[in-house]
Amino acid sequence: MDYTMEDTQNSAPDSLEATKLNAGAQRNDTQSVTKRLQAELMQLMLSPSPGISAFPDADGNLLSWTATITGPTETPYEGLILKLSFAFSNNYPYAPPTVLFKTPIYHPNVDFSGRICLDILRDKWSAVYNVQSVLLSLQSLLGEPNNASPLNAQAAELWDTNQEEFKRHVLARHRDLDDE
Amino acid sequence: MNPLSPEEMERFQKLSNEFEPDVQGPLVSTKQSSHAIAVEYANADPTLATKTGTLAVTHPMTRIMKGDGNCGWRAVAFGYFEMLFALRDPSRVQRELARIKSLNTLMDQVGQEEHLYEIFVDATEDIFAQISAAIQNGTPDESFLVDAFNEEYSSNSVITHFRLLTSAWMKLNPHRYQAFLPLPLDQYCATQVETVRTEIDEVGLQALVDCVIEGAGLGVEILYLDRSEGEAVTPHQLSPNRPNIATIRLLYRPGHYDLLYRAEPTVNMAPVVNYQYAMTSNYSPWEQGALSFDVNPHLMSIPNLMADPSYGMAPSPIMSPVSPTPAQQSTSPFRVSSPQDMFHSPVPSHAPVPSTIPISSPPPPMTSLPSRSSDGPQIRLNPLVMKPNLSRSLPITTPFKK
Repeated sequence: MDYTMEDTQNSAPDSLEATKLNAGAQRNDTQSVTKRLQAELMQLMLSPSPGISAFPDADGNLLSWTATITGPTETPYEGLILKLSFAFSNNYPYAPPTVLFKTPIYHPNVDFSGRICLDILRDKWSAVYNVQSVLLSLQSLLGEPNNASPLNAQAAELWDTNQEEFKRHVLARHRDLDDE
Repeated sequence: MNPLSPEEMERFQKLSNEFEPDVQGPLVSTKQSSHAIAVEYANADPTLATKTGTLAVTHPMTRIMKGDGNCGWRAVAFGYFEMLFALRDPSRVQRELARIKSLNTLMDQVGQEEHLYEIFVDATEDIFAQISAAIQNGTPDESFLVDAFNEEYSSNSVITHFRLLTSAWMKLNPHRYQAFLPLPLDQYCATQVETVRTEIDEVGLQALVDCVIEGAGLGVEILYLDRSEGEAVTPHQLSPNRPNIATIRLLYRPGHYDLLYRAEPTVNMAPVVNYQYAMTSNYSPWEQGALSFDVNPHLMSIPNLMADPSYGMAPSPIMSPVSPTPAQQSTSPFRVSSPQDMFHSPVPSHAPVPSTIPISSPPPPMTSLPSRSSDGPQIRLNPLVMKPNLSRSLPITTPFKK
């Protein structure tokens, strides 16, 4: 008596229907990602947070953004302008954006390619995190590195042992990026 | 200190982050025989083999969830919507939609921002709309729901919505959950509940049921498949003190949840029975003097054989050939039933009476059998249509109960 049901679910008209639905769904995905990113952009413009900014790249593609963080006071990064890139997938916000420091930065949790080790950008990502909350997290990471899992072991060690030397490395590595 | 360079570390970290277990199949499968689970364990530990063998009888159908880190969340969410559809009560669907939307205040209270959570709520609302439409259109089965849940983006949106509701609920009722958590509740919510791929654990599941499912009048039962003693999976009711109109059943194997369905036939069977009856009754009996299907004394003598309680309410069995319901009903003999379904008027009241068959002259079996009373319970015998019902009336599952 099961196969009556099997038949209805596997019959050709149903599969066709499913294909059509999926094609429509793909379009909806892109629309949903766009809608979400527009909402984030709106929020960033309506209530900006001090020291951070972000805007979609000029190419009209909402899936890639450029952001800046101003180095917080009383940290080795004070006053430095740090640029970052955000790349969003079609599955955003169910997958974290790929975030890179474009400005060369000396930091225990950032490698020399600008890749960042931060749990919320990996397995602890939540769909309610967003450009603003990621930038705020990175801003606080500048003043409070996670030295338990460093990408730059030397920086981690210096941070703990010699803050002055650490700051010298920060300034030596820093290079302001021109606007493209 | 560490033999790996930062680049290598990063490369391994990246590989590790991007690792996804090789899981196959759809996010939510069609309903299938749980016999496959028994086969899977046939050569495993004897306890597991016995338990899965029993399970295939007590819970003959299952729905496999993809093991992608969301299976428990997805199983409960799907079970919730499937049950709402199966109850086929449009006003209940509307009430549920209103209730779920009213829970937005929970998210507001814990500081979630509407511009972020609204797309999740929208996705849930869309599923409700699909269910309402399906009930209205008399859609025969839940395959539209399976399709919707296999569309990854909207599936994830609904799951995220339920995750955020659960998290908000836990933060607003910390006294109920903190004692069961190994870490501070806020941290638990941030790292286990609000994330996009963290599997649900028991505390999270309880909170999900408390916040989202219980208010719908639905229960959740987990059936644990483990090596503990016994011949059947161990059931655990998540809201034992509340009356439920229906129960979502989950099969739990360490780290994974699937849906299970008990051996419950469709209860709203009267149109099917009448349909068959009327079909045959248009012809004269193939053997004069043969016992009618309706009153076979041998079957009458079987104690507790399904007596059709709906007969007295049925206006006339010959009305049903024009009813569209029988064909639809027969496509899903295991549709989860509910008390609401159980005592519906068996024949749509608006079904027109075919003018070619005068009501005053009933079909031959009825006229030739004076013993049939018009108001008492009747035994229906057509083996085609009795089959699903027998499983309820005959104690076939009893040998497996302890």
